[in-house]
Amino acid sequence: MSMPRTVEHTAADGQVSVEFSVNGTPVSLRIPPRMTLADVLRDQLGLTGTHIGCEQGVCGMCTILVDGEASRACLLFACQVDGSELTTVEGLGKPDDLHPLQESFGRHHGLQCGFCTPGFLMTSYDLLDHEPDVQREDLAAELSGVLCRCTGYRNIIDAVDDVACNYREGLPEPKNLGHRTLIGRSPVAMTGARDESTAAAAAVRIDGVRPDEIQLPTGEPTMSVDVTSTLESSIEDVGRVFSDVRLLVRCLPGAELTDELGDEWYRGRARVALGPIRLSFNGLAHLLVHESDRMHVLAQGNDASGGQAQAEIQFLAVSDGTGTRLQADARVFLVGRIAGFGRSLAGDVARRMFEDFATAVDQAARGQEPSADAKPPSAFRILIATLLDRMRRLGGHRRATARRQLENRLSEKR
Amino acid sequence: MKPAPFEYVRPGSVDDVLSELGRDGAKVIAGGQSLVPILAMRLARPTTLVDINAIGDLGVLTSVSKGLHVGATVRQRAVQHDPTAARIPLLRMALPWVGHRELRSRGTVCGSLAHADSAAELPAVACCLDATITVASPRGERLVAASEFFVAAMTTSVQPDELVTSVHFPYATTNQGFGFAEIARRHGDFALAGVAVRVDARDPFRPTARVVCFGVSDKPVVRDVSAWLASAVATEGAETPEMTIRASLSDGSADLADDVVDTVGDAHGSTAYRRQLIAALSSRELARAYIRATQDQVETT
Repeated sequence: MSMPRTVEHTAADGQVSVEFSVNGTPVSLRIPPRMTLADVLRDQLGLTGTHIGCEQGVCGMCTILVDGEASRACLLFACQVDGSELTTVEGLGKPDDLHPLQESFGRHHGLQCGFCTPGFLMTSYDLLDHEPDVQREDLAAELSGVLCRCTGYRNIIDAVDDVACNYREGLPEPKNLGHRTLIGRSPVAMTGARDESTAAAAAVRIDGVRPDEIQLPTGEPTMSVDVTSTLESSIEDVGRVFSDVRLLVRCLPGAELTDELGDEWYRGRARVALGPIRLSFNGLAHLLVHESDRMHVLAQGNDASGGQAQAEIQFLAVSDGTGTRLQADARVFLVGRIAGFGRSLAGDVARRMFEDFATAVDQAARGQEPSADAKPPSAFRILIATLLDRMRRLGGHRRATARRQLENRLSEKR
Repeated sequence: MKPAPFEYVRPGSVDDVLSELGRDGAKVIAGGQSLVPILAMRLARPTTLVDINAIGDLGVLTSVSKGLHVGATVRQRAVQHDPTAARIPLLRMALPWVGHRELRSRGTVCGSLAHADSAAELPAVACCLDATITVASPRGERLVAASEFFVAAMTTSVQPDELVTSVHFPYATTNQGFGFAEIARRHGDFALAGVAVRVDARDPFRPTARVVCFGVSDKPVVRDVSAWLASAVATEGAETPEMTIRASLSDGSADLADDVVDTVGDAHGSTAYRRQLIAALSSRELARAYIRATQDQVETT
């Protein structure tokens, strides 16, 4: 077990420095001494896969690995894990490359509401990692540290036993370790910041909001989008829009700039609405390159549904006769339910958003107020346009007729 | 953040810990697996938490003078899996019952002793084995026998300005046998009742035996049951079948239970129920420990 550094006598409203790694990402924080590790993981680092139940060590919801051994994150003060390596459920597998334990829980229906699942996964990992020969009849006692109120445990035991039988030679390592940018949840989520220590905690969140860099996941993006639009405006006019970040953001459908953090770092919101679906991403953008004819943007945002989006976007404006050719090239990584939304549809939506962006930039370059301005509603239009687009691509007279009918009906609605 | 605000310090030496403990309202935290729930429920509001995890000397787990030296920050799980600890079978038998695996990874052996929960396993083990606890204070170090250590519920002879630095468990000798059992509502919860048993059967017709009961009073209750066991094996000695021993012991088991169980009981188990448990567990484990002592069997729970 790693040994923490010494800490000078710290006042109750003071802060303690702590360094550890979580899922392969080094973390350095200053936090009040009484803040539990479970709270830090969820609030400071945005790792909400670690659930909180009883907060007194009974229910096991917050079980994570500390230096490879299952521990309760609610029974540790975060300052105590200085020097440790932590693994949370986020580190166990990727949405498209699950850990065998995750896959097995799904196959055996070892979860219903899912609240206990992170705890069960982490404690099962610890068990099978250290005792690969564990027998089925011992599983009930060995897994007794986590409570489940849905399944009656049988399916959980089936799931763990299945993995145990298949991996007697050794359980595969966690599959999703690596450098990530961890962003805490918004300080707005805090209620009643009355006493000083809470106010201090809130201050940490805002300070801690700007990481050194935004790190994109390795591997294939969820979607890649490459859109080229032709604008009527001259490249000089487009360059004016590019140079003005506030104006530029107004060209992004549903986007809103909430904070300028300096050095080309921005905090903002992006809202996407698709029919009944409402996503609101709070996040950061970092402009690596910001010139009048090109931009290189890294962005990351979390949605309240637990989804996360990360993107690398490059814009290039090239003079094209009297107008401008605007090229957007994006790699987008989605995690959470939004990822299961359907790759092709998500890609279509994103492509349509870039086209709307180009149109808005064109308007802004001509001195008009861009039409994409912060109203997310464009999203309904986006979805319809996306569907129409698909029909168009499918082609055919009948579909064209259907399209006209749909368009007519829509215009009636408007 | 559920605990009330507290000051925090993590010194690098025992001396620094002791000077911190000189302040009013200071409390030591090692693994914190018993302390943090109490803080979270705000049943305790120490002014300062003195974290002893940055002191290398306290993390030592080693073989010393025919026994195992367990430093104050050595985790229960580390002891459970340490090959040397296999020489103390009772410790090995009891540790899997201490909380859950997720708690043993952080919880310490010394912390469990210092916390002195009356339903905890390790205080009973320490009493059963005559463990010795080392306590440091600004006045120097003192050695405390387990029998002198536990005073009452969650109360030990450790003073507020003192620190438990280690515990020493003697290795088992040949002709010794052990038994351990507890009943809890779920594995890992505090015991409703439990027993730790030590038998020395150098002379199989006149064994010495000790039962330590936990969960049934405000501290572990130690009883010498040599005469009781001796009467059960008086005729056949080491040849006595286990079931015969159990049958003979069951006669006196109710008396033992009446004697040791003085808890008033709670929603999970009445006094009478706990007496029943102690009667059943003590006669069963005593018989098993005797068989292990005479037949050199490996201890299991």
